[in-house]
Formats: sequence, C-alpha cells, structure tokens
Amino acid sequence: MKQVVRREYYLFSPWLRIFHWIMVVSICVLFATGLMITSPWIIYSAEPTFSGMTVDNIRNIHFLAAYLFSAAFILKIYGFIINPGDRLFPHVWKGYFYSNTVDVALHYMFLRSEHASYLRNPLARCSYAFLYVLVFIEILTGFGIYYMTDPFGIGGTLFGWVITVLGGEMMAHLVHHYVAWAIILFAIGHLYMVIRAEFMEGESEVSSMFSGSKILAHEPRDAGHLDGTLK
Amino acid sequence: MDKRESMWDVYLRKGMSRRSFVKSCVALTSLMGLSTDHVSKVVEAAEKKPLPVVVWIHGHECTGCDESFIRSGAPLASDLVLSQIALEYDHLLSAASGEPFEAHLEETIKKYKGQYILCVEGAVCTKDNGVYCMSGGKPFIETLQHAAHNAAAVIAYGTCAVSGGIQAAKPNPTGSAGIAHFAGKTPVINVPGCPPIPEVMTGVVMHVALFGTVPPLDNEGRPKQFYGNRIHDTCYRRPFFDAGMFAERFDDAGAKAGWCLYKLGCRGPETYNSCGNLRWFQGMSYPIQSGAPCIGCSNAHFWEEDPMTTRMPEYGPLGNVDKIGAAMAVGTAAGVAVHGAMSVIQKQKREAEEHEKE
Repeated sequence: MKQVVRREYYLFSPWLRIFHWIMVVSICVLFATGLMITSPWIIYSAEPTFSGMTVDNIRNIHFLAAYLFSAAFILKIYGFIINPGDRLFPHVWKGYFYSNTVDVALHYMFLRSEHASYLRNPLARCSYAFLYVLVFIEILTGFGIYYMTDPFGIGGTLFGWVITVLGGEMMAHLVHHYVAWAIILFAIGHLYMVIRAEFMEGESEVSSMFSGSKILAHEPRDAGHLDGTLK
Repeated sequence: MDKRESMWDVYLRKGMSRRSFVKSCVALTSLMGLSTDHVSKVVEAAEKKPLPVVVWIHGHECTGCDESFIRSGAPLASDLVLSQIALEYDHLLSAASGEPFEAHLEETIKKYKGQYILCVEGAVCTKDNGVYCMSGGKPFIETLQHAAHNAAAVIAYGTCAVSGGIQAAKPNPTGSAGIAHFAGKTPVINVPGCPPIPEVMTGVVMHVALFGTVPPLDNEGRPKQFYGNRIHDTCYRRPFFDAGMFAERFDDAGAKAGWCLYKLGCRGPETYNSCGNLRWFQGMSYPIQSGAPCIGCSNAHFWEEDPMTTRMPEYGPLGNVDKIGAAMAVGTAAGVAVHGAMSVIQKQKREAEEHEKE
C-alpha cells in the first residue's frame, strides 16, 4: 500500500459542468440527426406520415438541440465571469505557456517520461480553443442556413452574411457537414485524453467534470491561476 | 419625337379601350408583387409617365433569356415591347442592323442620358481587352461601360450577367464575369436564372419603368418580391420531404409517384427563385413538377456544383464526406488506441525505474 498526499483544487463551477454535459448531449443529438437529414431514411414498412421519424421531426429535433446548445453558452459565459477556474483560454501571451507546451508535447510523444502537473495543461487549453472555433463555425453556418427561410427577418439579417462570405448555400452545407465530422474527431481525442489522464496519473480528470474538483499529488504549475497569484 | 408618349397615349393611339388599359395595369400591379392598394398609383404612372426608353444589349451568352422573355404571358412580351416600353435598341429583337443601327445606339444614349433603362444579358468578357466578345466592331466591355454609365438603372438579366454564367466556369479562359463591377455608379438590379422566369423579367423592367425606382433588393441585389423565398420552401413536393418520401432513382416508384427529389440532387433547399409560386409559362409547370431536380440555376457558381444529381454526402470536392469522416474517425480511434498502449508501456517502464531507485 502506497501513501500519497493529495490536495483538492476546486476548478470548475457548476455552470461550466452543466454546460459541458448539455454540450455532450446536444452534440450527439445534432450529429445523429444531422446525418439523418443529409441522407434521410426511407421507411418502407409503414405509411411514412405515421412513422414518427419523419424528416420533419428529425429536423425539428436538430433545431431544438441547436437552440439548446447555443443557449447553454449563457451558462459557460456566466461561469467564465464568476470563477477563475472556468477560464480555459490558451495563455499564448505568456512566456511560460510555450515552455509548458513543449513539456507536455514531449511527454505525449514519448520523449519525456512524464510531464509536470497542471490544473489545465497548455495542449488541452489549445484543443478547447480549437473546439470553440469549430463550434462557432457550426453555429454560424447552421443558423445561416436555418434562418434563410426568411432572408429579411431578424435571423436572416444576423446570419445571412455567412452565406455571402462562403459564396453560396451549397458551400455552407458542405462546411457545416465537414466541421461536424471534425468535432467528432475532437471528441474521440478528448475522450481518450481524459480517460488516459485518469488511468495514468489518477488525477480525477473524469470525475472533475462531475465534482468540479481535481485531486492532485503534485503542486500544479498553474495553481496560481485560481487565486490570481500566477501572472 | 419631342413629347414622349405614355402607356395610356399608346393605348389611345392604337384605339384600345380604357377597360383593357386598366386591366393591364391591374395585371402589372399583381405581377410586380404589389398590393391591390397600388393599382391607382400604377394607373396614374401609366397615364402620365412617358414610356421608358430601354436599351437592351447582349454579351457572352446563349440568348436563352430572350427565349424566356418572349414567352411572357402577363404582360405579353409583344405588349411590353410594343406599347409599354420604348425599346430603342436590342441586339436580338431589332429589325435594323449595321452602321445606322450602331449610330442609333449612340444617338439614344446621348438623347436620353441618365434616363434610359439598360438591360444586359450575358457576361462581360474581361481578358485580353475583351476581344473574345465583340459587337459592332467594339469589345462588349466598352459598349457595356459606355451604355451603363449613362443609364438610369441597369438590369442584369440571367445568371451570366449576374455572376458570369457557364462561360465563367473553370478555367474561365475568357475571364467572363458578372456586369455589376462595370456599371459605375448606376444602380444594378440582379435578375438571375438560367433563364429567369419570363414574368419576372417583364415584372422587373415594368417596376423600374412605372415607378422610376429600383425595386426593393436583397443583399445580393435581387428584387425581394421574386427572390425572397427558397424553392424548397415554396415547393409543392415539400410535404413529401417532410414525410420522408423520396425518389431514390429516376426510374423508381417514388419518382413516378412524384415524391421529393432531394436525394436526386435537388438544389431547391439552396435556391431563391419564384419557380415554386409563379411557376413557368403562365403557371404551367416548373422543373421539379416535371420530375427534374432543381439545378439551382439562379445561384452564382451553380455550374461548378456538379454533379447536379447528387447532394451530400456524395456531393463535394473530396468525395463522400460521411465515408471520409467515418474513415478518419476509425483512424483517430486506432491512433488513440496505439498511443494508449504505448503510454501504458511508458508508465510501467517509469515505475520500474522508480522502483529500482528505491
């Protein structure tokens, strides 16, 4: 039996955690319904109108999930404001960010046996920034396509420019679909990294998204983020 | 020709009744997408406004837009040309030709400077000083710029004039482009379509003629009343889409039964036009009604979006997007599994070393 002293660091506010799980559910729903809208199923067994899984219903589920997802960003923003632990930007404007990135990258490439302890390691921060870029492309192209049923309404005015920028709705559909797949690729990598961290380091990476706290054996390099002492 | 005739003057001169004049005005009002409240304004304008002078020129194109135009049913193209506009110059419809005809164009531009409507069909060829499209011994680009800069408004008829059309398809050897950039400060009304719907063509020119203003335009410069709806949202086959009833092949039972053509590449969900509500040739039919999926002919670059009988996932420059995505997902999962295995080995090695130290 090994005795290890671990300290608990409260990191994620409930707002971020709720947002995260809404994001998980809605991305699953959006991806599944999105594929079904792209190539709709044909129901031969029954009168299609009574099947329940009509394209109409699937589209409505897709739109509902999209609105829910977009609205959930309110939680994320609120958490960002009230809790320093929710702020997960890559700190590219700080010098130590780069040395830490090299540290983690070398470990992930098996060139270093381990990396220093972080509350949020710099590569993870980069990947979240990347995810948010993908998600915002999805939101912009999605609402662009969606609201163009009424190009001169409020939604059409807010998002219609996306279609113009992309040079047509066919391209908007294409971008929307490719980026959806990119998000799935991110999700696979993300799932792997958190489970890996949990198994390898025992750093309660998975449970932190439920409890909000990380329980670390080493003093993390970025612990100062939480109380603002790390500049 | 000092006093220019109004539409009513023409009707009087031709001995046509007041009743038929008012009927024409009512038809025009509804065609222009205006409410019936505007009938009196239309009648007033038709009585007082002198017939608008129209110059109609053709660039790089197939003149299919004219083929469409002469099939306009309300108003009849013949009525429009003979008694509702003063068509001074038209490459295709004019009887005159040669030197005097070109001189007449100059005369018209000079005489009605800033007053006439310029209708343009066809793309403008920009490469090598525009030598690939000559008319009357001059490159079309010169004729266009000269005529457009002195016009009251420019109407770009057809997808060629709006965004270059088929001749602008890659690699675009003649440098064909839409005309909007060559009109100077003159307002341009885009009326895309390959060709546009006849009644849309006549409706737009009559709006400019009667009100002397550009109709309300969307952000792509198209008249809102004709290009404000997606074909998908006005399509009579939309209920089949919503119910999930699709034709999968051109010869299957679904195609025969008139089900939705979405899976056969229909571009209705991306295309803005009046095919769904106005339809073609006095409401007789439109492509989807006759069993052909929409090719999105009023969209810029529709000619590049081939094959037109596929949509995503098959459609796209890289092939089937869902297959690519699934392959990449499998690849990522495999990569992750290998990385995981190597991480375990690394960890065991590290722990063994730590153990030795102890």
